[in-house]
Amino acid sequence: MSGNLEFKASAALTIGTELELQILNSRDYNLARDAADLIGLIEKNGHPGAVKPEITESMIELNSSVHQRHETLAAELRELRDAVVRAAERLNVRIAGGGSHPFHNWNDRRVYPTERFKQILELYGYLAKQFTIFGQHVHVGCPTGDEAIYLVHMLSRYVPHFIALSASSPFQQGEDTSYQSSRLNTVSAFPLSGQMPFVHSWGEFIEYFNKMRGYGIVESMKDFYWDVRPKPEYGTVEVRVFDTPLTVERAAALVAYVQSLARHLLSDRPRAPSRDVYTLHNYNRFQACRYGLQGVFIDGYTERHVSLRDDVLETLSILAPHAAELGAGAALEDIAGHVRADASDAKWLREAYRERGSLNDVARMQSDRWMGRAVAPG
Amino acid sequence: MSTFLPQFPPPASPLALFGLLLIAGVIGGELAHRVARLPRIVGYVVTGMVLGASGFNVLDAKLVDEAWIFVEIALGLVLFELGLRLDFAWLRRDRWLLATGLAESALSYALMYFALVFLDVGSLHAAVAAAIGVSTSPAVVMLVAQELRAEGQVTERALNLVAINSVVAFVLSTMLLSWIHHEYRASWTVAVLHPIYLFSGSLLLGYAAFLAALWMSRWIGKRADAHFVVLLALIIASIGVARMLELSALIALLVFGVFSRNYDERHDLVAVDLSVVGQLFFVVLFVVGGARLELFELAAGGTVALAYILARFAGKSLAVMSLAPFSRVRPGVAGMLCLALTPMSGMALAMVQGTASLYPEFTARLSTIVLSAAVVLELFGPLAVQFAFRHAGEAKDPGEQP
Repeated sequence: MSGNLEFKASAALTIGTELELQILNSRDYNLARDAADLIGLIEKNGHPGAVKPEITESMIELNSSVHQRHETLAAELRELRDAVVRAAERLNVRIAGGGSHPFHNWNDRRVYPTERFKQILELYGYLAKQFTIFGQHVHVGCPTGDEAIYLVHMLSRYVPHFIALSASSPFQQGEDTSYQSSRLNTVSAFPLSGQMPFVHSWGEFIEYFNKMRGYGIVESMKDFYWDVRPKPEYGTVEVRVFDTPLTVERAAALVAYVQSLARHLLSDRPRAPSRDVYTLHNYNRFQACRYGLQGVFIDGYTERHVSLRDDVLETLSILAPHAAELGAGAALEDIAGHVRADASDAKWLREAYRERGSLNDVARMQSDRWMGRAVAPG
Repeated sequence: MSTFLPQFPPPASPLALFGLLLIAGVIGGELAHRVARLPRIVGYVVTGMVLGASGFNVLDAKLVDEAWIFVEIALGLVLFELGLRLDFAWLRRDRWLLATGLAESALSYALMYFALVFLDVGSLHAAVAAAIGVSTSPAVVMLVAQELRAEGQVTERALNLVAINSVVAFVLSTMLLSWIHHEYRASWTVAVLHPIYLFSGSLLLGYAAFLAALWMSRWIGKRADAHFVVLLALIIASIGVARMLELSALIALLVFGVFSRNYDERHDLVAVDLSVVGQLFFVVLFVVGGARLELFELAAGGTVALAYILARFAGKSLAVMSLAPFSRVRPGVAGMLCLALTPMSGMALAMVQGTASLYPEFTARLSTIVLSAAVVLELFGPLAVQFAFRHAGEAKDPGEQP
């Protein structure tokens, strides 16, 4: 049984990312339904990485290839973005980042017609259509399964950082949710969301997995919607709590943050996994979703209450030497600059709304920003 | 003593007429939908035919005239919304779409003209009938799209092609006015100035409505409910002003829509959903449209009408099939677009009506051709559009009635 859940070793600290994006019409900037035509056209034109459908026809997922360094990843994402923009302009649709569409109605969505997505609709009902939310997944390569398990536990402490740094879903269904990231509330409704159980090794993990499969609850790793999960078929640890940022540059910087953090955790081994981190997990996670960097963070190791903002800045200074080694210094500096200036994508979206007074305009500006309107029409 | 009682029979009231037509239409539409699973439009048209000249003649020419204002409002709404779909930026990025639109208009015009001349229709009649035939009924395409909640490349492209061929049809039929005047020995000043007045006047009217909308929007701010009222008010006012000044309300509202879509550079206008109000008027539009159709005209039109329909379909399809694939969407889009361009109805009637006021004897011959073709296309057009959107997978739930 365990044979098909072998952890496929990959080079340590290699990185890759997946970005789920919104497809908007160019009339009122509501979600459109052109995923199939868009993917078809992008494939015809050629592009780096991969382009895939997601649960509903209003979504598209971009995958980078595997990289060692932030710089090449960012360059590839820009190239991929330009390819997507060219195809989108041909079809008169727009592409936007951001964790949620500000005003679409979930019941207008239609599930992308593949077997897997139809099964998800069958199983989860309306939750499947509400799952039209947009996240970024970050992969970090691990040489062994045991290291992956360690990294999953250790990265869990930083889940609130990831949420606050990427938060870009303040609006949903035409309302200001008052959250910085409302997207994760939607994810939480799924029964297999949350955290990986407190296992200590890859062996223990396989035992757990086989038990779940024995119950008939899961078929593959894909069925777990955990915040951080091992991905044995890629040989990576996957962080799944990021909202898709408003630009690919920001997305690349967040990958650099995870990479530097992983280097610090795997090479310095600063602490051992702790159950206390998980005890506090839901509270910290909520604070990050609700208040972003202004949220309160309780450190499971020191029991200290700090603001998330301070904890991120402190972490950034610990990571500086690692980032320098990885060639990610500039990216992390950029993140630090944003944190110090109290800038965030959620804030940008709220300001756009204050300025324009219309969520249609917010969606338009969101797409202008992602498409980097400098690209010449093709 | 009995002065407070109404006369008998009481004089017809346009409002009562509007309400009754609506109810009759809704019943017809529901029956068509439930019994035969047809698009509701077909039911509205059949209701009109049953009530009108082809049937019991309850809805006779006089009543049709009284209901005409509602038809004009309906068409005004349709053309405004159609204008909103015509996206210059898209046509610049996908020039093949623009080329497809122009080519299908030109080719269908040429084929219709030659087919009619070949069948001994006078060249002026042939030219005007062909100009009217260039346009696809925007009301049918938009209403079927709305009914199916269709969305996607076929739907969007079809609506842009309809907008292009409507513009072409308006330009052609306005230019042909000169020829009509000349034929009926009006002075050359009339022949030259009338089309110029009609076209530039309607254009200015549409532009003025756009400026007013922009100005009001800036002043009101982003409130969809207020914008809704403003837009509706401007649409109705434009129709009234067009009537007062003998301009074309249809051209004016198309222009209003096109400007709103393409020249609202500061994004002041709010996207407003007019479809709820539209729905009211559309039902009346198609019932009255049906009432104007006369089945015996079909017999009178006979081969001429058939040739006209075939030439129109051949011209549109040939151009679309050969140019649309260059837009490189998915295979099969071109075929669905050909089907989506078949309907012809309400607007053709209005265009006939437009010339009727000038030279009734000219119109009589023209309407035999155009209206008998409309009998066929008004009944089968909605089916073709419904098939196209469904088959393209763009209806909300394909195969399932909304």
